[in-house]
Amino acid sequence: MPGRPSRRTLLAATAAPLAAGALGACSGGSSTTARTGGAVRITFWSALRGSQEVVDAFNRTHDRIQVDFQQIPSGGQGGYAKLSNAARAGNAPDVATIEYPQVPGFAIDGVARDITDLMGAGLRRKLLPQTLALTTFEKRTYSVPLDVEPMVLHYRTDLFEELGLEVPRTWDEFAEAARTVRRKSRQRRLVLFPTDGGMQFAAYAWQAGAQWFDTRDGAWNVSLADAPTRKVAAYWQRMLDEDLVFANGSESNQHKAQIGDGLVLTRLTGAWDAGAQMSAHPGAKGRWRVAPLPQWDTDRPTVGTHGGSTFAVTKDSRQPEAAMEFIEWQVSHPDALKARLSSGASSQYPAAPGLVDVGRKAFPEEYYRGQDIYTLFREQADTIRDGWLWGPRMTATQRVMQDGFAQAGGGAGSILGAVRKAQDGTMPDLKALGLSTTQRSS
Amino acid sequence: MTTTATPARTAAGADAAPARRARMSTRRREGGACAVLMTPFLVLLTIVFLIPVGTAVWLSFFSDDQPGLGFGPESTVFVGLRSYAAVLTDPTFLGGLGLVAVYCLIYIPLMVIAALALALLLDSGVVRLRASAQLALYLPHAVPGIIAAIIWLYLYTPGISPVVDLLAKGDITIDFLGVNTVLPSIVNIALWSNLGYNMVIFYAALQAVPREVIEASVVDGAGWLRTALQIKTPLVRSAVVMVALFTLIWALQLFTEPMLLSQSTPMINSRFTPSMYIYDAAFTRNNYSLAAAASVILLCCTIALSYGVTRFTTRSREEADR
Repeated sequence: MPGRPSRRTLLAATAAPLAAGALGACSGGSSTTARTGGAVRITFWSALRGSQEVVDAFNRTHDRIQVDFQQIPSGGQGGYAKLSNAARAGNAPDVATIEYPQVPGFAIDGVARDITDLMGAGLRRKLLPQTLALTTFEKRTYSVPLDVEPMVLHYRTDLFEELGLEVPRTWDEFAEAARTVRRKSRQRRLVLFPTDGGMQFAAYAWQAGAQWFDTRDGAWNVSLADAPTRKVAAYWQRMLDEDLVFANGSESNQHKAQIGDGLVLTRLTGAWDAGAQMSAHPGAKGRWRVAPLPQWDTDRPTVGTHGGSTFAVTKDSRQPEAAMEFIEWQVSHPDALKARLSSGASSQYPAAPGLVDVGRKAFPEEYYRGQDIYTLFREQADTIRDGWLWGPRMTATQRVMQDGFAQAGGGAGSILGAVRKAQDGTMPDLKALGLSTTQRSS
Repeated sequence: MTTTATPARTAAGADAAPARRARMSTRRREGGACAVLMTPFLVLLTIVFLIPVGTAVWLSFFSDDQPGLGFGPESTVFVGLRSYAAVLTDPTFLGGLGLVAVYCLIYIPLMVIAALALALLLDSGVVRLRASAQLALYLPHAVPGIIAAIIWLYLYTPGISPVVDLLAKGDITIDFLGVNTVLPSIVNIALWSNLGYNMVIFYAALQAVPREVIEASVVDGAGWLRTALQIKTPLVRSAVVMVALFTLIWALQLFTEPMLLSQSTPMINSRFTPSMYIYDAAFTRNNYSLAAAASVILLCCTIALSYGVTRFTTRSREEADR
């Protein structure tokens, strides 16, 4: 007997009869998301581009369920704090958007409901198994993947031509290209090492074979500074030391200017960034293309992912079935993807492979001069390395790491030091949460 | 309580009774007045101090736990000192404590010396327009801390700051928000905000120094500098202790300025000071037991340091008196 029942179990107990009521489509009761005029109303929070278009399309085609959409700030900008606080106050939305790294944290906190039994086998079959593996723990699923975003290389074709560069296929070639850029043009750099890019760094480590977290033997085993990560850290440290890269925030006006003024030649980000680029820099139409990420070993190409979101039904939802129906439509219906891409700001790569052709047709092709980026994304998505897991407190881990990156970028400390600090700053947190943990520090 | 005497007892009262009754009723009245006057204080103390502290202590010993990986059903359990152990082994918390210690070492002596020097200057009559000088120095204290931080954020941020621009024109590049300059920049904001306030406290204390003592020193041939340092300063020592104590307590809770400056510089991280650590633990990491334990530790540090300062100064005064 592990003590008295908590608020969450009590809530689950009180929510169950309400859910049953919703199934029978009779009196809904005293919920905030009650039906009006015969339709079940559910609330949906998201920071994703094009969400309003998707919700409008859903509401147009559905009579029984109507969705109230609220655009919220992105996770790091306060969106996750908003969700946590709302859940603490007992009024989280029916459907929340959670990025992959934060799924374990919200599942552990009980914000994301266990939806294993709500999810039909049909929906499971439609989704890439690697994406479901990132939202499933101890055989229970906590959220439904919307998209999966392999890391790719976005590059400026005109500047590559001007400086006589080939698209690098390996990290060695990439470093060589960085040296060429540095030699030929004093104020230009090949790429940015983002000091706020804990997630980019994670993707590099993921690609190189790192395993920051695993859950063998029923405990969180943490090893942020494992051998592949040390290799990646040494690589970027050298780029910094040789002054071959910019080192500043990627979500900053400074970086926006670096891109806008043609000072930076490439961006290493997830597939989604192709769409974000179109809306942020419409004037650069026709100058950018997308290529596969450089490899460590071209015989066995792998990539990690950067970005990508999932939808969770929260513990506070009074209409979990309706919420699930909306989620299923969002992640697997062609109209949903078409609506999102029509916003002109998204190049989302769907977690449901059946939608890739829809994406290819719906994506406006002028910006990339007709390049078939969806086929490229599909090839890259196939090489996403299996077995990666995110930790229980990624937002905090990422923050500590980025604090260290910022210092390293300013010449104090190193990238590897930042990674080690992130591990040291994460362990006390996990212990205070009462989780079983082990750690390997090297 | 038997506070009202019955008529029967009054009738049967002995000779000593009236005097005793009078004494008792005086004491009763005093007690009543005391209760009336103290109640608002005690009510406030309970609501804004004792209950929150009690809640924090309670929170720090309990946690919503799930065993293993944490995905199972959650239950509130007593965890003893686990959260305290976690906080005290967290290098980011200890780093914050160290940072605040450095901050105190720079800020407190600077503040006390500068405020005292200004007060002595004003008191010595060297300065004309004393009232306007006092007002000008006190004015920044009327600006709320958060507004002050925004003003200084504007002055520090490269690209929008006229100061940085002006210095750049004179070929001086300075990054107020760099690795080594960010702490002095915060000290500067705090000095600007609080210097005038503490100066007024010292000035008031100096007004209470008996004029004849100063006259005597002047007669003995002491100049104004010597009078200020060797006569006036020792006589306002209690004010110095008080200012040092309040400044210490305020400095240990450093939060607003670094929190706002962190918007503009990555050199201030999310757990820069203990207060920011607590905020981050509660609202980013959603770890309320950890936040509560860190708060209790910070409270204990504050109490211990305050006690240390008062003990140290009373002892040194006793030695000086002896």
